Amino acid sequence: MSERDPLQSLWIHQQQENFKVTTAQLRQHATRFQSKIRTRNRIEYAAAALVIGVFAWMIAIIPEPMVRAGAGLIILGALYVCWKLHTLAGAADAGGLDHAASLADFHRSELLRQRMALAAVWKWYLAPFVPGMLVFIGAVAFTPELDAPLIARVTLFATTAAPIAAVFGLVAWLNARAVKALDKEIKALEEAG
Amino acid sequence: MKPVPDQDQLYFEAAEAFGPALQRLARATEANDERRRDLLQDMHVALWRSFARFDGRCSLRTWVYRVAHNTAATHVDRERRTRRDTVDIDAAGELAGADSLARQLEERDGVNRLNAWIRRLKPPDRQVITLYLEDLGADAIAEITGFTPGAVATRISRLKTQLAKDFKETTHV
Repeated sequence: MSERDPLQSLWIHQQQENFKVTTAQLRQHATRFQSKIRTRNRIEYAAAALVIGVFAWMIAIIPEPMVRAGAGLIILGALYVCWKLHTLAGAADAGGLDHAASLADFHRSELLRQRMALAAVWKWYLAPFVPGMLVFIGAVAFTPELDAPLIARVTLFATTAAPIAAVFGLVAWLNARAVKALDKEIKALEEAG
Repeated sequence: MKPVPDQDQLYFEAAEAFGPALQRLARATEANDERRRDLLQDMHVALWRSFARFDGRCSLRTWVYRVAHNTAATHVDRERRTRRDTVDIDAAGELAGADSLARQLEERDGVNRLNAWIRRLKPPDRQVITLYLEDLGADAIAEITGFTPGAVATRISRLKTQLAKDFKETTHV
């Protein structure tokens, strides 16, 4: 008869706490989890509604056609982001992570999900606003209403666009760095098996 | 969430049979009492939710350990990202030298020292050693983790050697 490892005995005979949870509490927790996700999505929709409201107001008060076109494109970008949020939230509800998958598969799925999310943020969260922003900033800088030489107009355009481009560049750099770290983790996981 | 037939029954069976193992896993994952209780509750909620989709692809034991360990891994990952005051779990294994030795010496009993030692391991090592301590064989651990039985056996051997070395160092200082 094989003897149990003393560490296993030590482990198994740990003192236990009195922990009981009723099905009512479990349901309550599960509902709370869903409600947290719904709240997060509502905040995103509210932010989009604010963007849409502000730029719709600009369309109403600014007569310059190109500025209005830029504002319109930004509104379209915000609507596209809302639509993507809605479809992605639906897909997450339907699929979700399979907690009963083997630990290696679960970990790999989670890492791949994070990797895809990083790539997706760039594509559907930032890129949809680029055309609208360029048209809007360009229209403001080059409007005939502005009495300024060309160099001043270009400078205005560049100084307004540069911070936005810097933010986009920073996001791209951070994403690339995070993807690299995730790839390293995925590789280590594959080698461990 | 609408319960499916047997979801509650499966949960109660699992909680009855594996409740103590879940407590041990929570203790080996989270040192803070309050966060440990939250983690334990999360494990039970995840388990109950998972039984809505129980498809018999594996035994109840394998299912329970997978769900519990995956929940624990998610907890560690979340803590790592949100808490700046904790040591990076990947770096923690490398820090199990002088600093951890002093902390281990402060622990009065073996169980606390063992749990503290496990918490400093990288996630795959932590999963394998806790399953080994639950008295599961290499094949059963392989089914839960997705590693090959050979890789599991090698990992257990290496971890036991490391554990013995670290504890010997602690008691001899």
